Amino acid sequence: MTDELQLINAAKAGSADAFCGLAELYRERLLRFLLTRCASFADAEDALQDTMIAAFRYIHSYDSRWRFSTWLYRIAIRNAAKLRGQDAVDIGDLRDEENDPLQQCIADSETENLWVSARRTLTDEVFTAMWLRYAEDMSVNDISTTLDRSVSWTKVNLMRGRRALETQMNSAANQSEAYG
Amino acid sequence: MDKLAKQLRADAEQIDVTISDELDRRIIASLRAVEPVEQLPHAGRPPLFWWASTLTGVAAAIGVIAIVNWQALDEPVSATPVNFVAAVPTIDLKAESAMLTDPLQEELDKLQSDLKKAEEKVKRDIGL
Repeated sequence: MTDELQLINAAKAGSADAFCGLAELYRERLLRFLLTRCASFADAEDALQDTMIAAFRYIHSYDSRWRFSTWLYRIAIRNAAKLRGQDAVDIGDLRDEENDPLQQCIADSETENLWVSARRTLTDEVFTAMWLRYAEDMSVNDISTTLDRSVSWTKVNLMRGRRALETQMNSAANQSEAYG
Repeated sequence: MDKLAKQLRADAEQIDVTISDELDRRIIASLRAVEPVEQLPHAGRPPLFWWASTLTGVAAAIGVIAIVNWQALDEPVSATPVNFVAAVPTIDLKAESAMLTDPLQEELDKLQSDLKKAEEKVKRDIGL
């Protein structure tokens, strides 16, 4: 039995310590994802806390046939959407570097971080699918489960997202070449 | 892994996040304050409910069948067969056809007399 499964079983038995151990495995990855989905760093932190609480409360509904991360991401996506619904902030409009929590967490670089471009050009769902695939290394099946979409929808939209980002990446490379 | 995938992975790692001690404490404190919600077994209906609904359905069906049959028995059955041909009103087809052809007949007579007159006129003109 894996460590993760042992922790899950202990958490199901009511052990908060075991769930804290689980939270420790995922909290940074989740916070990084939530930063791309929330309007501020504080919102991302709140969403992370809410996700952990909800996951622990409803740990009995977790089905061990799924990956734990898939289940956790589903909760995180819902919580981020809930927070955004309350604040009514369109993430796509957060282009101001001073206010954008994502840009604040990225070190200065010659080229724009592709995730910043992705957030500007892709829809929320396609962005999330791309994130789960390329930042989290999730399988297409797991992504479709997380997003509650069909496998074919996931494949098509991953391809669209890739095409859009490849264009972005190539144009950024051409620009940097032109500037020498 | 292709170039785009590598770039996306590298850019995701560029997003520098650290869980502050304050957030860590908050999460731990809130986790200790809650307890997992026990999954309640699916509250199905008692078996008696199914028996009761089945019996009610069967009783209702028997009742409907009995009422329909009882009403059918009440209706008097006539011993002599009804003469349907006599019951259907006859239409005076002859009168109707005469009514329809009368104007046409008149028109035909007029045309025939016109034709006769025209023939006579032509004969007169050519001196026959």
